[in-house]
Amino acid sequence: MLSLSHLALLLCANLASAARLTVSIPPSPPLLPNPSTLPPSTHAVLVGPPGVHYDVPIRRDSTFVFPDVAEASYLLTLHSRDYFFPPLRVDVSKAADESQQQTIQAWQTFRGNEWDNKGPHYGSGKGELQLQIQPSGHKEFYQERGGFNIIGFVKSPMILMALVSAVMIFGMPYLMDNMDPETKAEFEEMQKSSPLTGSGGAANQIQNFDLAGWMAGKGTSSGSGASGGGNSKKR
Amino acid sequence: MLLPLLSAATLLLTPSLAVFQDEAFHIDYHFALLGAPKESTTFFHQPNPASKASLIYTLSEEGALGAVNPRDGSLVWRQLLQGQHQSNASFLRAGEGQDLVVSGSLNQVAAWSAEDGRLAWRTATDGVLRDVEILELSDGKEMVGAKDAVALSGSHGAQSSVVRLDGATGAVKWTYEFDGSDEAYQVSASSTHIYAILLHKTLLGYLRIRVVSLDPVTGKKIDEYMLSSENELATADTIVSVGANSASPIIAWTDAAHSTLKVNVVGSKAISSFTIDQHAGETVARVQVHAPYHINSLSHFLVHYETATSHWADVFHVDVNNGKVTKAYSLPKLAGKGAFSTSTSDANVYFTRITRDELSTVSSASHGILGRWPVTSFGVVSGIGEVIEPVHAVSEVSVKGDAVSAIRTVVLLSTGDWILLRGGTATWNRPEILASTVAATFAMPAEVEAFAERLQAEASSNPVSAYVQRLTRHIAELKDLPALLVSFPQRVVNGFLGTSEDDLASDNFGFHQIITCATRNGRMLALDAGNPNRILWNRQVADLKKEQAWNPRLASSKGGEVTINSQAGTGFRYNISNGEQLVSILPVDVEGDAKAAREVRFTMTDSALDATVDSKPAWHFSPASGQTIHSLVPRPVNDPVASIGKVLGDRRVLYKYLDPNLALLVTKSSLTLGPSNTATFYVLNTVSGAILHASTHNDIDLTSPIATLISENWLAYSFTSAASATAPKGQQLVIGELFESLVPNDRGPLTGNQNYSSTISTPEPYTLTHTYQIPEAISKLAVTRTKQGITSRQLLALLPDSGAIVGIPYNALNPRRPVGRDATKDEQAEGLLRYNPVLEFDPKWLLSHQREVLGLEEVVTSPALIESTSLVFAWGLDVFGTKISPSFSFDILGRDFNKFQMLGTVAALGVLTFVVAPLVTRKQVDQRWKFL
Repeated sequence: MLSLSHLALLLCANLASAARLTVSIPPSPPLLPNPSTLPPSTHAVLVGPPGVHYDVPIRRDSTFVFPDVAEASYLLTLHSRDYFFPPLRVDVSKAADESQQQTIQAWQTFRGNEWDNKGPHYGSGKGELQLQIQPSGHKEFYQERGGFNIIGFVKSPMILMALVSAVMIFGMPYLMDNMDPETKAEFEEMQKSSPLTGSGGAANQIQNFDLAGWMAGKGTSSGSGASGGGNSKKR
Repeated sequence: MLLPLLSAATLLLTPSLAVFQDEAFHIDYHFALLGAPKESTTFFHQPNPASKASLIYTLSEEGALGAVNPRDGSLVWRQLLQGQHQSNASFLRAGEGQDLVVSGSLNQVAAWSAEDGRLAWRTATDGVLRDVEILELSDGKEMVGAKDAVALSGSHGAQSSVVRLDGATGAVKWTYEFDGSDEAYQVSASSTHIYAILLHKTLLGYLRIRVVSLDPVTGKKIDEYMLSSENELATADTIVSVGANSASPIIAWTDAAHSTLKVNVVGSKAISSFTIDQHAGETVARVQVHAPYHINSLSHFLVHYETATSHWADVFHVDVNNGKVTKAYSLPKLAGKGAFSTSTSDANVYFTRITRDELSTVSSASHGILGRWPVTSFGVVSGIGEVIEPVHAVSEVSVKGDAVSAIRTVVLLSTGDWILLRGGTATWNRPEILASTVAATFAMPAEVEAFAERLQAEASSNPVSAYVQRLTRHIAELKDLPALLVSFPQRVVNGFLGTSEDDLASDNFGFHQIITCATRNGRMLALDAGNPNRILWNRQVADLKKEQAWNPRLASSKGGEVTINSQAGTGFRYNISNGEQLVSILPVDVEGDAKAAREVRFTMTDSALDATVDSKPAWHFSPASGQTIHSLVPRPVNDPVASIGKVLGDRRVLYKYLDPNLALLVTKSSLTLGPSNTATFYVLNTVSGAILHASTHNDIDLTSPIATLISENWLAYSFTSAASATAPKGQQLVIGELFESLVPNDRGPLTGNQNYSSTISTPEPYTLTHTYQIPEAISKLAVTRTKQGITSRQLLALLPDSGAIVGIPYNALNPRRPVGRDATKDEQAEGLLRYNPVLEFDPKWLLSHQREVLGLEEVVTSPALIESTSLVFAWGLDVFGTKISPSFSFDILGRDFNKFQMLGTVAALGVLTFVVAPLVTRKQVDQRWKFL
């Protein structure tokens, strides 16, 4: 392969007058460790002024060679099935005098920006320019389907709350049974006095809230008579 | 630097409607085609000298070069050469034991890695290529490295030349220019000489064959002579063959009446003449020569004669020492057409003959048959009553002792299919005819459409009669119950395993629409969109001469049939399920005359568009001076719109400007009138001729494609803009939306009007546009279509550079995206995001995902019977189809619906009920005891 590129260089020396642009894709781990895995449909396009358009396929040594580029300002894009490559601006300009070769320069360019807004300079050369372009990203074609995931399901706050309350409901009676009588009495005393669960506590009030009475305009003090309502809420 | 980041951020925010991993490769289908292979450019070849297995290489009539795996017919690699279906002068050669294949087309000689299809080198010649050969020099020692190529080129009327190109780099080793303006015809290489064959026109208009022999090493002329072809050659068409790269290359030609065959061994001046037998007064229509393509093989060749109804062949031997040609034996005459292929094994040459029903192999030395295989079926479908004939074939033979142990033959059939016969059995077929599709349309099978119509009728009639109708339909369907019960277990199993392959008749969703394609060579074929691996039928519908265009247009006016209009005739109707031609008596529509509205006819030329109503001129459009009309696209005929307004985030409504007669007209500056590269896009009312909107773009690359689309109340177009210091360069996509008024809840001048006529007064729309910079050129635009137009739309764009088809959600393009500020709450509720001038195509939007769909030219869409889904079919070189749900599949259970999980949940609940029931009973009993 080395000799091949060497010979290619010799060939280019023969065609001195024409500007020659060589774009290579170096191995760039971890994204693209081996550029020879790129499919043969990978190609590079130089879009110049109206009507000037070069399109070259990828070579065996993962390069793109534009052997003879006319003087103009070009947009260079690389198209590959699996990778994104940044667009470049390539300018081929006239030599200062007859004997010299054309100047080729390359910069990064940004889509949607004016053409003079150039990015980092990629290189310049007389009559010939070799560039290296690394892929900027891998193309992800597929959308993951939000499948059923038992861990995620259990992690959701709703389920966590339900689980905790289930533990309370089923676990509390056993816990109470297994307590020694003193602690139990103490605990019951504490419950009574606690604002949430005591007889005057908020929870109790809510539980014993007499909706019919409230709607009828009665005061809240007389509530607590609703007898049957308790069993459904006990659950 | 900030902008790309921003654009990436917007991509993340946009609700991307993507291809799901589990649906990819299931709901979409793709034929990666090459086009009809040419006989001279098709061969078996080992991709590298070390490998035993060979691949089939071909350069097709569509200009596609590729390698096909002979085991299963899958494509290994391919490259599109320039000059797609323009000229048929293209060449493909492979040197023996080389890992390169060398192609030639137009003026480019290119060498490709045989294994993976990457380019090794490419060299341009001065004139158009006439021939390319590999130089096989057998000067005792094996050449090191790649074998060199010889290319003959010459434009019409210009000097022709031969160049020798280095096999490793493509560098020119030497050039020889011919004197005079003789037309270059072919180049042949023997082991010691390079022979260039030129055609010299005599004063009387006849052709004489001029042979120039060159030294392969120096490129100097060794000798030159004319063959005395007398007055036999009037055109180059009757030159049958110029064999190349054999020990003794030959030139063979016949006279115009095909009565005598003349053969000259290149290098000698002697001409052998043979009379062609005229069997039973039938005239010979075609003579072909099949010679081995191998420098070390015996110099035997076969001449294949063909009449309208039969074919036979003679085998000739060449004496290498004195250049004498003798006839060795004949192969018998058989009815129908046949194909011969030549294969070599060491020095031996074998000829394989393929007829309609048999494959047989003979050795070139004697006429004894070495192997014979009956061919019962080619495994392809054809038209009713059509006999499938082989067109040409290429074989790979392996011979053990005196018998053929294995033979593989790739045959191009008259149906356009390319098949491989292993022995006499067809192992695979590639429908290469689809690569030449020029028109295609969707059609609903008659049963499905009838069913859909019945449902429609039930839905629209009054409840009582609808109920009666439904009841009678169900009673009528009862007769299918036994059959259904029998097949039910199977269907359930299939449903769970996801292997259901339901037939056309039971397609309740409209996925099994039939796609009919018309091809360039006058055939028509049909595919089932729901089960595309099978071609339903394939028949010849137009009898075309070579290179004759017939411009077919396909349409399906009603279920079960398709109508074809072409230069060959109009109004031919075919049954789509079997391809039968329907009797062409057009039913007289009694109410038709009354219904027939006044007809508007359009005549478009480069410089004007004229409309006539009732043969009276109605209006005339002429572009601005220096401009010509580029294209005109109307709104699709069947373009249902669900809502006449757009509901804003605060529940107010913007009214759409809806008019069935909208069209988008593009004019561009004519290239002859100077370099002002502008294009103007007009929205026209096609009845009144009013221009509703116009926009002009300067500095456009007019040589690149301009894609346009108009649908509903919006339009889209794309073009490539040239560089200027202050403007961005690259491809742009413009989207515009027409509204009756930009004030919500206001219809502008139409307020309160029930009806209006565009011929009396045309209210002007308010147009919003946005331009997006896109990463690559779009060659064609289309839009998804659903039954009622409720589903949101996707803009479909063909991307020729990356070989893909992309579905862009309309919301990502919405011209109402706020500019220069973030979206307000109300706008966010609508799904609008801040405008960003760069629109990157998210790979998830690519309908073709990982597939590489090359050479697409057109795309059509069709609504399925369910609202969520639209069918897509694209063609060109490849054929690609899929079904998409732009607003997700809201009315059908997709693949994400896990049937096993559902059953598992039901089962678990059932078990739980049984387990818990005793517990609950006990608890209830306990409670009773407590309370009482």
